[in-house]
Amino acid sequence: MEFDKKSLLKLGKLARISISDDKLNNLSKDLNSILEFVDQLKEIKTDQVDPTSNSLNQKLEVRDDKVDTKNSAEDILENAPEKEMDFFVVPKVIE
Amino acid sequence: MKDSYTLKSLAVLLENNKISSKELTSEYLKNIENGKELNCYNTISQEKALIDAEKSDERRKSQNLRSKYDGIPIGIKDLFCTKGVTTTASSKILSNFVPNYESTVTQNCDDAGLIGLGKLNCDEFAMGSTNKTSFFGSVKNPWKSVNSDNELVPGGSSGGSAAAVSGDLCVASLGTDTGGSIRQPASFTGTVGLKPSYGRVSRWGIVAFASSLDQAGPITKTVEDAAILLDIISGHDEKDSTSSVNPKENYYENLNSDIKGMKIGIPKEFRSDKLPASTQKSWDECANLLKTNGAEIVDISLPHTMSALPAYYIIAPAEASSNLARYDGVRYGLRVEGNDLIDMYEKTRSEGFGDEVKRRILIGTYVLSSGYYDAYYIKAQKIRSLIKSDYVEAFKKVDAILTPSTPSTAFEIANEPSDPVQNYLNDIFTVPVNLAGLPGISIPYANDENNLPIGLQLITNSFEEQKLLNVAKNIEETINYSETPEKWWLK
Repeated sequence: MEFDKKSLLKLGKLARISISDDKLNNLSKDLNSILEFVDQLKEIKTDQVDPTSNSLNQKLEVRDDKVDTKNSAEDILENAPEKEMDFFVVPKVIE
Repeated sequence: MKDSYTLKSLAVLLENNKISSKELTSEYLKNIENGKELNCYNTISQEKALIDAEKSDERRKSQNLRSKYDGIPIGIKDLFCTKGVTTTASSKILSNFVPNYESTVTQNCDDAGLIGLGKLNCDEFAMGSTNKTSFFGSVKNPWKSVNSDNELVPGGSSGGSAAAVSGDLCVASLGTDTGGSIRQPASFTGTVGLKPSYGRVSRWGIVAFASSLDQAGPITKTVEDAAILLDIISGHDEKDSTSSVNPKENYYENLNSDIKGMKIGIPKEFRSDKLPASTQKSWDECANLLKTNGAEIVDISLPHTMSALPAYYIIAPAEASSNLARYDGVRYGLRVEGNDLIDMYEKTRSEGFGDEVKRRILIGTYVLSSGYYDAYYIKAQKIRSLIKSDYVEAFKKVDAILTPSTPSTAFEIANEPSDPVQNYLNDIFTVPVNLAGLPGISIPYANDENNLPIGLQLITNSFEEQKLLNVAKNIEETINYSETPEKWWLK
C-alpha cells in the first residue's frame, strides 16, 4: 500500500488540494487501486526504448516575433474573481 | 421532426427553400426543450441561435452564403470556448466562466455558417466514461433496454454530444476524445463518432485535459456527415503549434466506398472471453462483410495492447495535473476565500473540482513528483513508444484495423462500478489509438439482444482519415443500420 494518510496529505499539499479527514480513507483506497493497476507496467522491459512524449512527427514551428494588439489587460481581467486597476487581487503574501 | 435529417439532407432542404434556418433552429430548440429530461445541454443559446439563424436566412436571400451548410444548427461540447457563451467543462470551478474568445474549431464552424444551439454536457474536464462526473449531473442515454425501464449511461466523456445526436436534440455535434471520449459514447448511442489524427484539428481554445492526446471531432448520424463536419473543423492553425501542416483533404467530396483489394487487420489481442457474444458476432460478421465486398482479412498482432490502458492512466493524469494547475481562483473561475494565498488555492481547488478530477490530479502529481518520475512517467512514455511501433508495424501489412469500440453496450446509470479502475476498462479498445496519435471511428453496426447499439471501431494510419471514412462508408452502405431510440422522454 503506497498511499497512507500522511503521504496523501503531502500529495494534497503538492497539488494544492485540501483533503478533508472524512475523504482520506476512500481516496487512499481509490488511489492505491489505480497505482496497483498501473504498476503492471513494471513487468515490461523498456531499457532499450526511447520515450514518446507526443505522437506527431513534426518540428515545432517558431512564430514570427511581431507585436499584435490581442489580449488586452481589459480582456484578460474580464473573468477575474477580484481585480483592481490592471491587476489581479490576491490575499496578502508579504507581511 | 424527421429522423432522416442529416447535415447532407438539411443542406438540400435549405437550398431548395423547403425550410428556413430560423424554422429549423426553432425546431431543434423545441426538441431540446422537450428533451430536457435527457440533461444533454448545460447551456441553451436560445436567443443567440435564433439571431444567428435569421442572419443566415438573410445571407441566403442575398446569395452570400458562407458554405452549403450555412444555417444548420449543431451542438457543441461544453469544452470548447465560445465567445460570450458560458463554458464550464461541466465543472463547478468554471461554472461562471464566459470566455471572451472563440476556439478555432467553433470559429471554423461559424465561418461555415453553422449555428450553435448550446453547450453539451460532458464528464467534468472530459474525465470519465459515463458522463456521471459532470457537476451538472448525468446525461441519460436516449436508448433503453427492452428488458428494463432503468436509465442508461450515454458513455463519456462526450456523453451529451452523443445523446443529443441520438435523441434528435441536434443533427450533429462536436466532441473531444482523449482516450475514447468520442468513440465510446458514439458506440453507446448508435451514432458515428470520429477521432481525427493527433494534429488534424486545432486544439486552440479547447479546455485542455491531456494535451498530447486531446483531439476534437464530430459525432453524427452518418459517415457522410462525419466527413462533412471534419472538412469544416480540420486544418492547420498557427495558434496551435501541434496542429499539423499536412494539407487537409476534401473528405466528403472524395468519399469512395470501394474497398476492393484493401487489407483489413483483425488484432488478436482485442479478442477476449469477456466480450459479449453479440459484440463478438458483430465483429466477425463485419469482417466477413468486408471480405465479401472485396477486402482481404488479415490476422495481425498488436502485442502491447494490454499495456495501453495502464500507460494512459499515468500519462493522461500527469498532463492533467499540469494543465489543471491554472485553476487557482486568481484569474478566472471559482474563488473560495482562505486565510492566506495558499489556503485560498487549496480551498478553491478542493471545492471546485469533483472527486474523479481530484483523483487524476493527485495521481498525476504523484507520477511527476521527485523520485517517481522515471519509474512512472518516463516508463509510461516508453510503453507509448512500444504501442506506437506496434501500429507502425501493423500498417505495413494492412490498410485499416477493425475492432469492437467498447467491451460492452450501454449499462445502467445506477450500476456504475465504484472502483475507478473498473470504470477505466470502458476505454480499453479506444485508448491505444490516442497514445499512437491515430484516427479512429466508431460506427453503429447492429443492436444486441436488449436492443442496445453495438459500435465497431476502425483505425487507420496517421492522416489517413480519407481511407478511414471510405471503409466506414462501405460498412454503412452494406448494413444500412437505421435503428433509432424510442422517444420515451416525450411521453
